[in-house]
Parts: sequence; C-alpha cells; structure tokens
Amino acid sequence: MGERKNMRKLLRNRRGITPVLSSLLMMVIAVAGMSIAITATYVITDGLHDNMGERLIVEDVWFTPNQVSLYLRNVGKISIEVAAVYINRTDQSFTPLELEQNKHGWLTVTYGWSADSAYEIKVVTRRGTTVVDYYMSPY
Amino acid sequence: MWTITCRRIKRDRRGISNIIVVVLSLVIILAIVSNIVLWNYEMTQLDWEKMKENVLITNVENVTSGSQFTFQNNGGLTVHLVSLWIINPTDHQRYDINVFVNSAETKTYLRGDIALPTGNYTVKVVTERGNTAVYSES
Repeated sequence: MGERKNMRKLLRNRRGITPVLSSLLMMVIAVAGMSIAITATYVITDGLHDNMGERLIVEDVWFTPNQVSLYLRNVGKISIEVAAVYINRTDQSFTPLELEQNKHGWLTVTYGWSADSAYEIKVVTRRGTTVVDYYMSPY
Repeated sequence: MWTITCRRIKRDRRGISNIIVVVLSLVIILAIVSNIVLWNYEMTQLDWEKMKENVLITNVENVTSGSQFTFQNNGGLTVHLVSLWIINPTDHQRYDINVFVNSAETKTYLRGDIALPTGNYTVKVVTERGNTAVYSES
C-alpha cells in the first residue's frame, strides 16, 4: 500500500524535468556537432589523400594518320580518370580512359598532326594532376 | 589555507566546457595533420625511390631461340621491369614482362615470342615506379 503511494507521488512530481530535458538536448546537439566535424574532417582528408596519391606516366606516344595515341600507366596509389588532353595548349577530343592502380592503356586523341614537328602534349586527370612533355612526330 | 584553496578549485566548475572544446578541437586537428603528413611522407618516399632508379639496356640481339635483352641496374634499388616496347616506324608493340634486376646487377632476358624488326628500331623498358630506359638500333 505504502509502495503504491510512493509511486504515485513520484509520477506526479514534475520538478527537475527541465534540467533533464535541457541536458538531453545539449547532448544531442553536441553529438550532432561532433558528427558533422568528423565527417568534414574525413571528406577534407580524403580529398587531399586522393590528390597527393595520383601518379601517371606516358609510356609511349604513337603518331598515326589523324590520331595521336598515348599509352598511359597509373603508377600512383589511386585510380585515375583522364579529364582533358591538350596538344599545343589546345583542348582535344579523346577516347575516355579510366585506370585503376597499376593498370595501363591506350588513350587515343583525334588530331591532324604534321610530319617532323614538336608537339607539347599535356594530359590532365579529373583531380588536376598534369603530365606534360614534348614529342616529335615522325617524318 | 592550502586545503581551502584545493577545495575551491575542486568545486569550481567554471571553464570546464572551454577545456573540453579545446581538447576535442586539438584531437580533430591532430587527426587531420597526422593523416596528411603520413600520406605525404609515403608519396615523397615513392618519388624519392623513382629518382634513385637508374636502369640501362646495354644490348639487344637476335638469338636462335628468339630475342635477348641485357639490362643493367646502376641505381641503388632493385628495379621491377613491367613493360617492353619494340618500336619501329610502322609499329609500336608492347609486351608485358616481369623482370627484377638487383642493384649493380646485369641481367639477360630471353623472349622466344619477340622477333626484332629489320632496319631502325627502338627498344624501351618501363619500370614499375615509372622510369624508362631506351635502346636504339639502326
């Protein structure tokens, strides 16, 4: 009987609810804030990681009629995607190429070249890594 | 007197949240910086190793069982050759290879499926780190 009375008293007593609620709310806000901070940290660090880990080499350049073919090798720590190719500082159309780590393949650029001339060829990846060099076309 | 001061410090809860905020911020900053520094160190190591490579093709010849290539490693690190190119004016042929040449070692590599072209040609090998060695024959 006494226990019941005590329980009723406890249930009716509303004092002290506000501090509990405010503490709970503060905890939720703090956890949300920390989650946002940690996610932002991960996103920023991941982006920098990717940018720093890109390495690309041009193994070979082959001048064929109205085409320049570049053999690319991914020697970095992350997959790459070719975003642009410039020949003599002019943007050229090319076959899309994506290379996983340690993979290699041909990148074909449509370009009408002249014999016995030097060409500045620049390959730019989606993350902004560039590989640029001069290549001589055949006679 | 000393005991009273100690009690006051223990009871005084003002500024605790500031300290927690600073500590958490420091943890986040430390995590970012250490992550970037470690990754940067790894990539710098990769570039440094690439710079230290020095491989040469000293000889290329036709033998009865195919073509024989001689590679010389003058660098301080073992090199892993992954690509072999036979280039002439009409064709650029690439072959996958898997040859390790230790530092200060000269190694011959025989390939039965490669026939060297007649006339001018260039032989090129590419290392796993991204360096190339070129040999021209006319």
